[in-house]
Formats: sequence, C-alpha cells, structure tokens
Amino acid sequence: MTGNDAGPRSVFIVGGNRIPFARANGPYTHASSQDMLTAALDGLVARFDLSGQAVGEVAAGAVLKHSRDFNLTRESVLGSRLAPTTPAYDLQQACGTGLEATILVANKIALGQIDCGIAGGVDSASDAPIGISDELRESLLAANRAKTAVDRIKAWKRVRPGHLVPEIPRNLEPRTGLSMGEHQAISTAEWQISRESQDELAAASHRHLAAAYDRGFFDDLVTPYLGVTRDQNLRPDSTVTQLARLKPVFGTGEGASMTAGNSTPLTDGASAVLLGSQQWALERGLPVLARFVDASTAAVDYVYGGEGLLMAPAYAVAPLLARNGLSLQDFDYYEIHEAFASTVLATLAAWESEKFCSERLGLDGPLGSIDRSKLNVNGSSLAAGHPFAATGARIVATLAKLLSQKGSGRGLISICAAGGQGVVAILEAAPAARA
Amino acid sequence: MADPRTITLDTPPNATVAFARAAATSIGRGGPLEDIQVRRPRAGVPLPELAAYDKTCGFALRDALPATYLHVLVFPLQVALMADRRFPLGMPGLVHVRNRIVQHRPVDASELLSLRASARALRPHALGAQVELVSAVRVGDELVWEGFSTYLSRGASTPGEIETEPPVDVEIGPDAPPNAVWDVSGDMGRRYASVSGDVDPMHLSSLAAKAMGFPRALVQGMWTKAHALAVIEPRLPESYAVDVTFGEPLLLPSVANFFVAQQDQGWDFAVRPAEGTGHHLHGNVREI
Repeated sequence: MTGNDAGPRSVFIVGGNRIPFARANGPYTHASSQDMLTAALDGLVARFDLSGQAVGEVAAGAVLKHSRDFNLTRESVLGSRLAPTTPAYDLQQACGTGLEATILVANKIALGQIDCGIAGGVDSASDAPIGISDELRESLLAANRAKTAVDRIKAWKRVRPGHLVPEIPRNLEPRTGLSMGEHQAISTAEWQISRESQDELAAASHRHLAAAYDRGFFDDLVTPYLGVTRDQNLRPDSTVTQLARLKPVFGTGEGASMTAGNSTPLTDGASAVLLGSQQWALERGLPVLARFVDASTAAVDYVYGGEGLLMAPAYAVAPLLARNGLSLQDFDYYEIHEAFASTVLATLAAWESEKFCSERLGLDGPLGSIDRSKLNVNGSSLAAGHPFAATGARIVATLAKLLSQKGSGRGLISICAAGGQGVVAILEAAPAARA
Repeated sequence: MADPRTITLDTPPNATVAFARAAATSIGRGGPLEDIQVRRPRAGVPLPELAAYDKTCGFALRDALPATYLHVLVFPLQVALMADRRFPLGMPGLVHVRNRIVQHRPVDASELLSLRASARALRPHALGAQVELVSAVRVGDELVWEGFSTYLSRGASTPGEIETEPPVDVEIGPDAPPNAVWDVSGDMGRRYASVSGDVDPMHLSSLAAKAMGFPRALVQGMWTKAHALAVIEPRLPESYAVDVTFGEPLLLPSVANFFVAQQDQGWDFAVRPAEGTGHHLHGNVREI
C-alpha cells in the first residue's frame, strides 16, 4: 500500500528504547556518541526482533558533535545489528532534535515513502568536542595551503600563545552571549515564577520518575548500559525542603530562584523510537502504542524581539491546537520538557495569560490552564537528565506507552530548544483492537 | 603453599615485570612441558580499560565484551606461565602463529570472571618447536570462553614428530578487491601494548625489533585479529569460533588491505599487504 493515492497514512509509535541517562563525567565518560547511539539502536533491534532487517530510515542527531561524526547516525547503523542497507541521516535542532527526527520519519511514513523508521538522538557532555581557536585554525589552514617554506613560516608566525587555548563548547547563545540558564532567568523574572513552585515541580519530577521505575514502567523502554540500570540523576527521595537549601545559579539579586536542583544537569545518553504504518506493524505482529497525530515547530525573536529564549513552544502549540480542532484542555497527558522547572511554569503561565495569548499568539482568549495532575506524570528531564538530542525520543516513547496503557486519550509534547525554537506534537492512543 | 604446579594470581600481574623476568630467565630453557596451571579466580573488567581497548581496536563500547578482549584478560596468565622457569621455551622471540577463540556465549563486562591458562602440545615445528597455550574463562562453573594460542620458538628443538595442523579455511581469492584499506600508524604497537599488556619490545620500538631480526617494529597479531573482528562484530552470532593464522608480520607503519567474505557458516577474512604478495592474517568465524 502506498499513501500517495489515498492521502496521508496513519503513523504509529511501535516502541522505544534508550539507555539510562547518566550525569556528565560519570559512567559514560568513555563512551562516544556513536557508542551510545549504537547501544540505543541495538536495544531497539533486540526488543522488536529487527536483527539483520532494514528499516525505511534512521534519523537522529547530536547537539555536541565532533567533526569526525559527520555521518554519526549512518555510522551507528553500520555498527548496529540493523541491516547495513538501512539508510540514515543526521539532523540537529538543538534540544528539539529527537522530536524533529520523529516528525521527519512520521511524515515519510504518512506519505508512503517509507513503511517504518527509527528516530532518535544522542548527546555526550563528557566526550564533548574541543575546538581550536579561529586564529589557530586559520593559520593551520594557511600553512597547509602554502606552496613555499617561506609562506608556511609566515602562516605559523601569525600564531600567538593565546590562540592555542582550546575552545570548550559552552551552553551559550552565540548572538547574546548569555547561557541558556541566564536567558531562562529573564523569563523566570518576567513571568514571576516563584522559587517554591520550581522546587515543587523538580521534586515531583524525581518522585514521578522513581515511581515509574518502581512499577516497571521503563522495563521495556530502557536497556541497561555499562552497568547503569536507571537514570543516574534520579534522586527518588528528593524533597522540596532539600531543594530549597540550594543556592541560585542563574539570575541575579534577591529574585534569583534557579538552582542546580530545578535546572537540568549536563547529561550523557541516547534514545530511539520505532515508528511504522499500521500495516507494517501488523505484518510483523508488533503492537502499536500510539498514533502520531500532528506536530508543529515555532521560533521566537529572543535577540531583538523581547521574547524569552525558551518560550517558542508556547507559540507552536496554538496553531497545532487550532489545526486539530482541540483546546489545551483536551489532553490526558502533557509532556513538557523540563529544561528548567521555570521553563515549564513560564510556558503554562503564558497559556493562562490573556495578554500573552491575545497579543503574542493572536488568539481571542487565553488557552487556559491545564490539570497539573496530568503533567509529566512519569517525571521528565529534571529527574531523568537531558542529553540534548536524546530527550525527544525519550518523551515520545514515554507518552506513547502511557497512552497505550490508558487505552484511550491523547497527549501533548512540548520541547524548547536553543536558538529560540520549540517543537510540539500530539499523540493519541492507538485503537485497542489493533495490537 | 598449595600445589606447586598451580600459580594463583589475585591481581593482574605487571606485564613489563613479567616480560623482563621471562627475558632474564630465558637462557637454558628446555625439557618436557610440565603441567602448570595459572589461575586468576576473580577478575573484573575496568570500564576505562575496556573503553581504551575498544577504541584502539575499533570496537563499539558495549556491555558485551569483544571475544578478543578476553584474550587480553588471560594474556598476563600466559606470560606468567611462560615466565616460569619450568616452561621449556624462552619467551623472547616466541612468535604467535595461530589463535583460535571460542565464545560460548557473550560475556558481560559486569560479570565476575575466573581465568585459567595452561600449556599443552609441545612438539617440533618445521622451523623449531611449537606449543599451545590454552586459556579458559568461566562465570561461576559455566565455561563461557576458550582461547588457543600456538606459539613458535624458532630454532628450538623438542623430541617428537612434526604434525601439520589443517590450515584455517579461508576462501578469498588472490584477485579479490579489498573491502577496506587499513592505514596502520607507526605507534599502533605502543598503543595496543598500553591497552593489552603485550609489551614485547619488538612491538614498541624499531631498535628492539631489529635486534629480533625484523626491519621495523611490528604490530601485535592480536591487534590485527581484533581489528578484523571489530569490522564484522555487528554481524556475529552469539556463539562462535574465530580462528586465525598469522603470516608475515605487519610492520609499522603499514598500509594493509582487509578482505572479508560471508560464507554459509560464517565469515572468512584476510589481511594482506597493500603492496606485494603474502598475507598478514587469514581467519574465519564459524557459528557453533
């Protein structure tokens, strides 16, 4: 069956797999991005009996990327148990990478261009690439171009000791020079997000993730790697009282409220999610967890436009809801990526704000509030950690399984990304009779 | 002390010290092969060491150990055995001519391993005398891995008949195009030494290699085998035997051609010089 004649096909999430996430410079210090992505793919292959099989494509990426990893995903496929005839490509949209990869694969399946595919992402903050200064790089390239010894010496003479200092990647927005945390601190102040509400969200994230592990929710979503069996950042006994003792690390003055406890740490990890058409899954006797309904991406002008760096998902959701004839309250689960606790809270506040929704989103009224008991019910990035590009597939797989267990309903995914971008998507439970 | 024929090691022995002792006591070796066992009852895998090995040989860092990594774990036991004065052949100049590994099941890096090495089959070879080092890895009582390393001592003599072993069955034609070209850097012997403990000086410096009659330093055969195995690792079955014979030394630096062909029961592979004839390694993998 091809979808071209009959219009877009339904796309289903068949399952997911990730390695436990680990804090930077921890147990995955010696693992490369390729090692971790390969491990995540091989776990998925093992779960769904894909060994030696080709899938339509594998789309994945990494945010922190070595230049040698120009073909990271394809190299990972070649090192995995997937058939070497599986096409693959890299993409990168900062923290939106994993979800954007899912959208790409889903769209190709919907159009009938492929019948199944894998989307994923990986990041290593431990094995991060270290660059050389532009001055040294330009001198090296000039020396390489030089045809005579004299030219070569001239090129080398331009090198100064200061040029030899390596450049370690930092979490800075190139156009503002502010770190992501500093940007979020502006939004935290603007939306008057209290320290208490941030710490409460963080404690809930840990509590929910721990409970989900305890009841075996992740047994078929996570494969142990290098001796790690659970997300290493998870502190099940984290309390608001403990979190309240931490000193602010972002923001200035009295109002500074963002701490290491209510911000995500640098993390290593990889994740992957398997998507397919209904027919493809049926032919293989594979279950379908959830239908991938629709997605939307937005960007905001955080440089000159006065919008917060991480507020783009608040924008992306409005047209997505309108297009699907849904209200913000029509969801059973909300998966809002916890880059910082205050990112989630500022996004919710924006949707509740009549002013924001009318002036910025051009709506007649506010999108309104959500039932907070439906938010990140199995924890999110504050507890699990956030290996940038790996977060999307973690959330897609988690939400798909939640919907499958419930057997009905729909869920909303919202992920903010560097560069003032946001990626959002809707999943709904697959019809029960299909498994 | 317990049975003098059993040497028990609690920690991995220092390879450099063991090599030096083996070299210092190599004169005047001879006689029959005694039944000496070297054991290391409790061995774990330090992840940083595994990661360094994987990187040097080209494996992805997984929880399942490369079959050749277990050779690295038992190799110090072999050295301890060969360094023992009762071992009949002097270790300097011993040449690894064949290596067969049997992986009964994948071994996880977190498993506590019991290692054992012994020697057997001392017999004449057309060029001297050969002996087979037999190694076994167990998890509890379960045999998970075996290694068989044949070493040749050129010019040594021992009584007995020369027995010709059947060669490794490799079907790769002389005119086959290479599947990969390996640019093996000049420091590969030192790099592999640092991750494997095989610090035989002929792998570390040209000078030492010249003293042993080679024009330049040569890479360890087990690196070549590991690098070949790494290429086909994603296609390997869970239980298999990988058998190789080592031919001409791979001198450093070198450009070598790698050949691999899928057969009914597994894979055949070869490493040959990019220029000229002959081979560095012939091998095959067979599912068991």
